[in-house]
Amino acid sequence: MATPPMAPAPTPAPTVEPETRRAVRPEPTAAGLRRLRRLRRRRALVGWGFAAPFTVLFVAFMALPVLASLAMSVTDMRSTDLRNPFAVEFVGARNFVRLFGDELFHRAAVNTAIFVVVGVPLTIVAGLAAASGLNSGLIRFRSLFRVGFYLPVVTSIVAIAVVWRFLLDPQAGPVNNLLRLLGVDGPNWLANPTTALPSITVLAVWRNFGFLMVIFLAGLQAIPAHLYEAARLDGAGRWQQFRYVTLPMLRPTLLFGAVVTGIGYLQLFEEPFVMTQGGPLSSTLSVSYHIYNQFGFGNYGYAAAASWVLFVAIVGLSVLQFRLLRARD
Amino acid sequence: MRMYRRLAAVATVAVTALALTACGRDSGGGADDARPVGEGKATGEITVWAMGTEGEKLEAFAQDFTKENPDAKVTVTAIPWDAAHQKIASAIAGKQTPDVSMIGTTWMGEFAKTGALDPTPPGLIDSSTFFEGAWNTTVVDGTSYGVPWYVETRLIYYRKDLAQQAGVTAPTSWDELKDFARAMKEKAGAQWGISLQPGGTGSWQSFLPFAWSNGAEIVRDGKFTLDSPEMVEALGYYQSFFTDGLSPSDLAPGALETGFVDGSIGAFISGPWHGGILAEQGGAAFADKWAVAPMPRKKSATSFVGGSDLAVFKDAKNRDGAWKFVAWLSRPDVQVKWYQTVKDLPAVKKAWEDSTLSGDPFLKTFGEQLDDAKSPPAIATWEQLAAAIDGEVEKVCKAGTSPAEALKAAQEKATGIGTGA
Amino acid sequence: MGGTDMLRRRDRLARAVLYAVLLAGLVVVVAPFVWMVLSSFKPEGEIRRVPPTWWPETFTLDNYARLFSQLDFPRYFLNSVLVAGLITVGNLVFCSAVGYALAKLRFAGRQVLFATVLGTLMVPGMVTFVPQFVLVSQLGLVNTYAGLVLPFLAGPFGVFLMRQYLLSIPDDLIEAARVDGAGELRIFWRVVLPLCGPALATLGILTFLSSWNSFLWPLVVATTEDKYTLPVALALFSVGQHRTSFGLLLAGAVVVVLPVLVVFLVLQRQFLRGIATTGLK
Repeated sequence: MATPPMAPAPTPAPTVEPETRRAVRPEPTAAGLRRLRRLRRRRALVGWGFAAPFTVLFVAFMALPVLASLAMSVTDMRSTDLRNPFAVEFVGARNFVRLFGDELFHRAAVNTAIFVVVGVPLTIVAGLAAASGLNSGLIRFRSLFRVGFYLPVVTSIVAIAVVWRFLLDPQAGPVNNLLRLLGVDGPNWLANPTTALPSITVLAVWRNFGFLMVIFLAGLQAIPAHLYEAARLDGAGRWQQFRYVTLPMLRPTLLFGAVVTGIGYLQLFEEPFVMTQGGPLSSTLSVSYHIYNQFGFGNYGYAAAASWVLFVAIVGLSVLQFRLLRARD
Repeated sequence: MRMYRRLAAVATVAVTALALTACGRDSGGGADDARPVGEGKATGEITVWAMGTEGEKLEAFAQDFTKENPDAKVTVTAIPWDAAHQKIASAIAGKQTPDVSMIGTTWMGEFAKTGALDPTPPGLIDSSTFFEGAWNTTVVDGTSYGVPWYVETRLIYYRKDLAQQAGVTAPTSWDELKDFARAMKEKAGAQWGISLQPGGTGSWQSFLPFAWSNGAEIVRDGKFTLDSPEMVEALGYYQSFFTDGLSPSDLAPGALETGFVDGSIGAFISGPWHGGILAEQGGAAFADKWAVAPMPRKKSATSFVGGSDLAVFKDAKNRDGAWKFVAWLSRPDVQVKWYQTVKDLPAVKKAWEDSTLSGDPFLKTFGEQLDDAKSPPAIATWEQLAAAIDGEVEKVCKAGTSPAEALKAAQEKATGIGTGA
Repeated sequence: MGGTDMLRRRDRLARAVLYAVLLAGLVVVVAPFVWMVLSSFKPEGEIRRVPPTWWPETFTLDNYARLFSQLDFPRYFLNSVLVAGLITVGNLVFCSAVGYALAKLRFAGRQVLFATVLGTLMVPGMVTFVPQFVLVSQLGLVNTYAGLVLPFLAGPFGVFLMRQYLLSIPDDLIEAARVDGAGELRIFWRVVLPLCGPALATLGILTFLSSWNSFLWPLVVATTEDKYTLPVALALFSVGQHRTSFGLLLAGAVVVVLPVLVVFLVLQRQFLRGIATTGLK
């Protein structure tokens, strides 16, 4: 998962506050209209006053490069054009057409899709399980567990790679040794094209469930205790309480977790980069990794086009999960 | 809502305008002219970028240059190998290049094509003083854009003691290499006779020497020849080590050295840096147990030559001083002294006559191999092409794809990628 | 009576199982970190061994000695502190201001601004890298602290986080202050910001973490070594063309992680409260 801070989910657009509605309804007199315009102007001044420093920096260092990269994606720009970036050919949608015919991109897209579809629910389940366990009132030293479960975020990826490679080592690794005790001959997890992606998925889940655990913990603590009491009086066991009280109350939080994790997982890069270099046989090649390779080859226009396709996927997934949230409200 | 539409419209117009103002390419730029460099001593500040240990040690080393050219000053910025390619590319884009930079041999094609590199001045440096394979890494479209600085090449590292036990000596031909590997496995108890890289990043460096030794070429007369019969035969030979169970197809990182030291791997192919690694991992007692041998012969006994070149940028503020510094670093005596400082193998042939190099059997073998070592074509698209070759080699070694099929696919991909000319 | 006894026994069993599972999870989760710290005290050969060792067979401070002697450590550390510190403070100030404006003030164009910021958040980072660098060079900011800091001084993530959090602040407080005649700036500074503790702590930690560990941008923007930050300097000394010096790399990783851990432990409670609250919105 990418290291830059994960974005919390976009919330539904705020409903128009009553004051705005009041203000927008025009007063029938000319003086009233003048007052309205003055009010609007004053508001704009204040609002943009607060937003100005940010907006200037943002337009300069964010918006302009974004537009430039959009332009890049419709040209045939290569690294050899770096000294004369405007001396490139406009190729329209050709990069995108090539992209959809690229077998490596297909593979990367499929890998990423599988990873997201499998990894997001797994991470949520793991986070929820850990949070429920810590919240059940049976455990002390909650702080210790909380900090501990956070450490993967700050551990060097190099150290993570070494330890996990050892864990999954077919001869010496504990995983296969455990399987051997049960009489099963474990595969070479990272070198087998069928098991490599699942192994990376498990690694990513392990690395990221701590973040979700914390969010769910807070969500669980916000559920009023009397609901549980009422359920217990009705004769509900622990599992039924979970199903009929916890889960429904936790829905907004769960969806938040899904969106955040989804956005991050769509940009999967570090884990395959360090553990398997996209292999074996491109079975762990992700879209972000493919883009990284293309930038490395100097195919700037093509890579920009691929990045924008990934952007569309990210927006699409967010909107989808968005809709699910709104539908339930 | 009106706001949204208005902004969207503005944005679309802006993007389209930006895209359409793209003037398009010049068809056919003229060949770069190599301009001569002035006589006399170097003056002024010379800014140099270098990676890794070279970057760390060069500034102190350059004090000898300042002694000979008292009005000149050499400032070296060390840059990490990690993302060095990205740094140089960005510097070219932002027009923030130094006077001189160290550039990996396989990057020369791409950077020369950006037009950022200055062609080597005539009369300053004699190309025949360098190993041919090394010099060729600087030649793009017939013009030389820099000078080799140091080189590395690949040899067969093998367990001397296990070979003795198996009753074999260092292999000198393809058949002998096969028998050697088999003997290591069957008679000396090794699990793997020889470890070859089964595809993946950089595997072309292991495979191409065999292709070159069989007379195959990547590019001939401007056209790709990846599916030539010689190439197919070489890949078939390479694959046979895996199908015969002589080479592992899924070795974990770090397992190579561990396996070589404990005798489960009988041999492998690598460059001079492994000498140091083996000394570290095996300790002093291990030093007598291994040796290096040149690549085995088919039509020739060719290996891969890599290393780094030195290039001067067109936008250099001190072009004169920069080239003089580069020329100084290419002097045989300076190359020897540089070897003694950083243990980089000299790119200049004469430097190898020095006893520090010719007296050491380990290094001497590398020096001899350098006389017959090739580099991949210095084309702008090499990185992408190499990745395509790596992918096909992986399919051949791990998935059992037939060499002919794999190379046909590679040829198609190569034609699609082009030479970036 | 029998019923409560059974309940207590079941509880105790459940507790034991839970502890066991959580502890196992904790061990798995903490293991690489522990390995990283322990291995920074091992010699190179032992670090590379397969299978890896846990407790150092040969304990050595050599890696740290080399790290501090070969690297001009104080310089790079200060650069990192300066850059990460400035970016963090900048984000706290600018993003809270914009977040407040987007959440509580009504002005023309605020939906557009928010949508644009949100959209930028979803753009994959790699694609804007080269255009950003070209821009910075055109502005003459290469190899300057300004060039290292300015592009990240106001990030879309911070804006989003602050806006979400600020939405939950009751309007009546602000209205009351307005009625009392307080100016907008005063309201923001005196009334709103003090309520933002958890969100500010969250934004502070996350921004510090990512800017402290940032590698590619400082590498490309700095053209002389005196502007290198710690991650760049560490890569310089540990990653070679053909081999990585794992000892230096791990020692460096431990050194780099310490300030982050300190910041995290200090602000931990605020941070966890903050993430949770913004998450629930």
